[in-house]
Formats: sequence, C-alpha cells, structure tokens
Amino acid sequence: MDIQPLIVTPVKEHARVPLYDLVIIGGGPAGMTAAIYAGRAALKTLLLLGATPGGQMSNTEMVENFPGFPEGVGGANLAQRMQQQAGRFGAEMLVDTATAVDFSARPFTIRTNSQAYLAKAVIVATGAVPRMLGVPGEGEFFGRGVSTCATCDGFFYRGKKVVVVGGGDSAIDEGIVLTKFADQVTIVHRRDELRATKIYQQRAFANPKIDFAWNSVVEEVLGNEVVTGVRVRNVKTGKPSVIDTDGVFVYIGMVPKTDIFRGQLEMDEWGFIVSDEHRRTNVSGVFVAGDVQDYLYQQVVVAAGSGAIAAMEAEKYLGEYPLSEIETEKQKSEPPGVCEE
Amino acid sequence: MAMLNDAVREQAAQFLQELPHPVRIAMFTQEIECEFCRETHQLVEEIAGLSGQISLEVYDFVADKEKADEWGVDKIPAIAIVGADDFGVRFYGIPSGYEFTSLLYAIRAASTQETDLSEAGHQFLSELSKPVHLQVFVTPTCPYCPQSVVLAHQLAIASPLVRADMVEATEFPHLSIKYQVMGVPRTVINETGHVEGAAPEPMILDKIAEALAGAEE
Repeated sequence: MDIQPLIVTPVKEHARVPLYDLVIIGGGPAGMTAAIYAGRAALKTLLLLGATPGGQMSNTEMVENFPGFPEGVGGANLAQRMQQQAGRFGAEMLVDTATAVDFSARPFTIRTNSQAYLAKAVIVATGAVPRMLGVPGEGEFFGRGVSTCATCDGFFYRGKKVVVVGGGDSAIDEGIVLTKFADQVTIVHRRDELRATKIYQQRAFANPKIDFAWNSVVEEVLGNEVVTGVRVRNVKTGKPSVIDTDGVFVYIGMVPKTDIFRGQLEMDEWGFIVSDEHRRTNVSGVFVAGDVQDYLYQQVVVAAGSGAIAAMEAEKYLGEYPLSEIETEKQKSEPPGVCEE
Repeated sequence: MAMLNDAVREQAAQFLQELPHPVRIAMFTQEIECEFCRETHQLVEEIAGLSGQISLEVYDFVADKEKADEWGVDKIPAIAIVGADDFGVRFYGIPSGYEFTSLLYAIRAASTQETDLSEAGHQFLSELSKPVHLQVFVTPTCPYCPQSVVLAHQLAIASPLVRADMVEATEFPHLSIKYQVMGVPRTVINETGHVEGAAPEPMILDKIAEALAGAEE
C-alpha cells in the first residue's frame, strides 16, 4: 500500500504581500529542480506547486530513463523525492496555483488562489497539458470513456477494449500500462510507423493484447451514455471505419500552459514560451524552464536540466540586479497591480 | 510493519502540528469480507499517534450498527472526521496513495474550521436551503483527485447542509457501476448531478445549483 503525501507547508498568514528573491511557478521536475538549486544558492524561494505536485511526472506509472534509478522509479515516487530534496534546502512550497501575474515592473507580482506574492526574479515552469483531439463526442464523453490518464482510470477498463490515440512515448507506454487492465488495446496512429522510443515499440509489438490501426485518424467519438466506439478514417485510402471500444485514451502531444502570461511573455506560434540558451525570456528577470518552453523533448531529465539552468541564471541575475530596499518598500506598501485574466 | 515511513510520518506530523481544536477519527471496520479494513485501521492508528489533539474511536460495522446508523455510515472501511461538530466528512475505502493528502487536509480543516473557499463560495453556502450530498469517486493513483476531495470536504465543513464522501472506486465496484464511474475524479451530487475531473470551486457550485434546481422540477 503506497502512501504519497504532498510535502505540505501550512499557508502562512501574511499581513503584507511577502517578497521573495525567487518565485517558481510550477511544481514539475523543472520547478522542483530549480527550487533545489535556488535553495542551495540561499535564495529566499517560493515554489508554487500547482494543484498536482509533480506535474505530468505524477501520472507516469514508471520513469525508466531518469539516471540513477537503474530499476526505474514510479513517477509519483520520483516527484515526492524531488519535493523532499527541494524542501531540504529551504524552498517554501505551497500547493497553490498562480492565477495572474504582473511582469511589467520589479518586483514582479504573482497572484494565486489565496493571495499575492512579490518576487525579485521569477521562473516560469508551468508545464503542459494533454492536447485533445477536438472531434465531436470527445468533450461529451470525457470521464465517460474518454480519458488522458491511464494510471488514474485504467481500473475501470478491466476486461474491456480500449483505443489509444497517438504514436509517441506517452501513447505507447500508457498503452502498455492499459494492457494490465484491458483485454485489448488498439493504438490508432496517423502514420505507418511509431515515433516512440524503440524500447517502447519493441514491447508494444511483442504484447499480444496490443494491435494497431495505422495511417488512421479519429474523426468522432461514438456512444450513448458511455463510449461505444470511434469513427476513424484511413488517411491513405480515405476509407472510414468504426472501431468498437469502451474507452479512448488520448496521447497526441501537449499544449503549454501559458494563459496567464499572454501579452507579457513572448511565445511562439504554438504558445511555447520563447527563451535563449540561458532560459531568459523577453522580460529581464523572468526565466523559463521545462515543457512550457520545450516543444521538442518533453522529458523529465531535460525539464530538470532546464530548471537547473534557469535557477543558476536567476541567481546570477539577482547578483547583478539586486532590487534596492527603497524600491521594494515602495512596492510593498502599494496594493499589487495585477492584470486579471 | 508501520504503514508510514519515517519521512512521511515526519511530514504528516509537521502538517498536523498546532491543531487548535480536538478532532475525533471514528473508524468503522469488520474482521471479515473487507479487503482494506485492516490497513485502514492501522493507518488511522498511526495518524492518531501524531497529535495529542486527535483521538481515535474504532467501531465494528455489524456489532455497532446503531453507531453506524447514527453517523450515516453504510459501507466499510469508513472513516468519519469529526471536529467541534460532525461536519459530514467521510472517507469510504482506504485513503492511501494520493488520498493520504486528503485525509491530512480533512483532519486539519475539521480542527481549524478554516477553508480556502472564496467569498462567493461562502455566500452560495449561506443561501443553501436543501441538503447536498457529494460523493467524490477516486483511485489512489490519481494525482488530480485530492483537489476534488479536499474541495468537497471543505464545502461540508463550511455548511451544515453539505456532507461529502471520498469513495475509493476500486473498493466499491458496485457503486462505480451504479454511478457510471469510468474516470476519476467524478463527483456525484445528490444522486443525480455529476462533475467530471478536478473542477474548480465555481464549477462545482454551479453543478450543485443545477442539481438542486433539477430536483425541484
């Protein structure tokens, strides 16, 4: 029986808006690694974990490619370990989500569900959320057959048939996880070969419960009360068909979580935050790390690495541009101006 | 063997330090035909040992039926978290995995009677005129689920008309079927309404209002 507590820092009552050297927005591997580095650099650091500490790592059943864990490590377990490590070096942590920011003047303002914080520097590490298909039926049947979390919902498909949409690491890995519950897992992929890492491919091809619908895209999720099937189209032949299924698990990539930064941080056409090799954004003093700026790799170890870079750069920046006490006091005595989304 | 390892016990103890008011944990169990009763019992015993403000009462689901009826407990393992009042905070099934966090939050909120609900949330609750029963279905491996459970329990603590259960879906498959649970979290409102996913406070309140209005028609 696993017990997975959050490291929970009781929310302190602040008479004034508290000022931190560094506020890290997001508690996935990027944010947690940044907090470890910032804590060791003796920066007064606040880590806003969001609603699900660990981020996407938390719903990954097994992480097999994070160095130092030769047998692999459960995603939730790895998240917990990172959090403990960040806590050990003094970062304050809150299970709270940033709802608005003002990066127009230093110190920067970060507002959460419960209160506002000031920061001399910020690291944005909000991560990404699953991209949805955007086809008819998908929204209607979300939670009634449509899911994006195999570790959460796999149980409900014992002895049933499921479809997994996608061909990358997540799709194939989660498809394999689902074979522990479902009798049959059909992977629907728009191309005729998988993008997933070879080791996942080999496991999937060797698994008797997994079959493939190649060159196929899902055009509609079908059902009555619950999902009964998906309508797919073969992109080569144009031929439509229906695959009977009880569940649809969608793993077709990620959308960066950047809503609250719109108009303040530069983003590319897909919404990923633009930064240089030092993880500096267009706002001096605001850094970025993890999947929210990474459309290419989206790996735990890469996110952690970029978190380390962002924290080291933030430390350097704070050394070069310390905020004067006068400016700080002035800002603290005024109610923080926040652009509400 | 202890259920909580040293690191977890330390974190939990820290979270539960300085509870301002006593909290009772009432656990309902049974020796047979209950897969996780023994573990749940052990878990609450270890939790009760973390703070002098927490007391534990253990009842047998059959022998203490009157007590079960009094607390509205209809399945086991069950945990009622009771502060100055019985706020209607329940856990059905073992709060393990991510739900351990929900248990800690429930104990603290029952003691402090403080919640993170918004002004609008309190306003909504003050205008309630009918009972609301929230059943939040979860699995222990769902990182999004505690968000829904903690919110439901806070609504229960803030309003005498609201009661809220965590229901561990894998331990009560008949309920998962009855309420068509195919994904978690799923919050069932007064038998009729439901919310999919870790919905924020305003959305849950809207759905509660909808469910109450629907029941009137």
